[in-house]
Amino acid sequence: MMEHLSLYDLNIKIKDCLKVNLEESYWVVAEIGEIRVNQKGHCYLELVEKADDKIIAQNRAVIWSYTFRNLSGWFESLTGQTLKPGLKILSNVIVTYHEVYGLSLNIRDIDATYTIGERAKKRLEILKKLKEDGVLDMNKQIPLPLVPQRIAVIASSTSAGYLDFMSQLENNTLNYQFRISHYQAIMQGNEAERSIIEALLEIHREIEHYDILVIIRGGGATLDLECFDGYELASHVAQFPVPIITGIGHERDETITDMVAHTSLKTPTAVAEFLISGCRDFEGQINNLYTRIIDQVLDIFKERKGHLAYLSKHLKYITENTLKGQALGLNILGKNINNAANRRIQVMETALAGYIRAIKLNTERYLTLQNKDLMNLAKSIELVDPKKILKRGYSITRSKGKIIKSAGDLRQGDIIESVFYDGKKESKIL
Amino acid sequence: MTKKELTYQKALDELEFIVKKIEQNEPDVDELNDMVARAVELVKYCKTKLKVTEEKLKNNLEALD
Repeated sequence: MMEHLSLYDLNIKIKDCLKVNLEESYWVVAEIGEIRVNQKGHCYLELVEKADDKIIAQNRAVIWSYTFRNLSGWFESLTGQTLKPGLKILSNVIVTYHEVYGLSLNIRDIDATYTIGERAKKRLEILKKLKEDGVLDMNKQIPLPLVPQRIAVIASSTSAGYLDFMSQLENNTLNYQFRISHYQAIMQGNEAERSIIEALLEIHREIEHYDILVIIRGGGATLDLECFDGYELASHVAQFPVPIITGIGHERDETITDMVAHTSLKTPTAVAEFLISGCRDFEGQINNLYTRIIDQVLDIFKERKGHLAYLSKHLKYITENTLKGQALGLNILGKNINNAANRRIQVMETALAGYIRAIKLNTERYLTLQNKDLMNLAKSIELVDPKKILKRGYSITRSKGKIIKSAGDLRQGDIIESVFYDGKKESKIL
Repeated sequence: MTKKELTYQKALDELEFIVKKIEQNEPDVDELNDMVARAVELVKYCKTKLKVTEEKLKNNLEALD
């Protein structure tokens, strides 16, 4: 019989050999091929290494429950990812060999910064690709609507984030009205990317009804945001024709979807506040313009009123002044007229006195002359007085009441009356 | 510009235009009246479109009862 060992002896040998030749622990880079947690909280994994998608190495690994509880929570909080198949990790392992269970790697620690670095590298590749596609900043370049009132929302209808968002918009204290259309999508896990892209395509078909698109998520316990780092989703978001606002609820670094979206905010309520503030800004702008118009108009009226008051004052002043001036003028004129009149009156009086004197003088002279004439006349009259003539021997002969100046006027038998200076006598013609 | 074609952007542009016009040249009183009337109309349009009116709010509240 050949020299031989029992299987147990062999395994003990292997165990000893490993113990002698291997360091206490190694830092190993590997991809998680499979992972499951049993009821006791122990985590069992298959670690693999691939080259051109072919597995070139594989090992079982375990994280004991007391380590796993701390490690998984810490890893998630740091990387934003759960430990899951496909994830590359750098872990500190102790190679253990058990006679019955064989070779296994006992994971004692995981270097999260490696995974973060891996993720960052992957993200950089996607970002580079988006840049090469020429779409990286496309959504950012779309101007935000003046007033974001017609809103499409991609969210899970049952998520606390969506309910918060709706409640905040619908109960906004400024009474802005929003028309919100909800598009259901799965927001986490392997299905999420496809589901969100389908919702985007659906909204795209009715794009004329929307000013803005909101992608929100939140309230869930899981921090798995890897679906928002996918190239396909990012590409759709980047090229979407209306601005996209994200509020996918994380405190850590942004996802690629956040980076290509127009505006990325931390939480759904922050998105709601952003939309409300958009309306508020617009209202403020309108109010400000209106106030400026009213102020300006009031100023103009005030200025014109002032000008009118000045004009009316001025008018009063110049009127009074003119009147005063004219009154003074009138006064002087009155005086002048008075003086002139007085002078004139004096002249007239002098002239009148002259006339009167002249008239007096002339009258006296005239009267004297008249007197003389009268006396001459009286003498002449005395000379022709019929009585004096009759005295001198003349008589007047009348017949039938008429004075007889010719002998031929008398006929035989006519009775004539002879008037003498001292009486009458009748006689008959023979 | 008729009421039908009015949008937020057009209302904003027109308000800015009125402000500029009033602040830069001195319009006469008749022009001012027209401008103020138009500004009021524009602001009213925006606010009505922006906000849930009181009646609407009341109706909504009544619908809750």
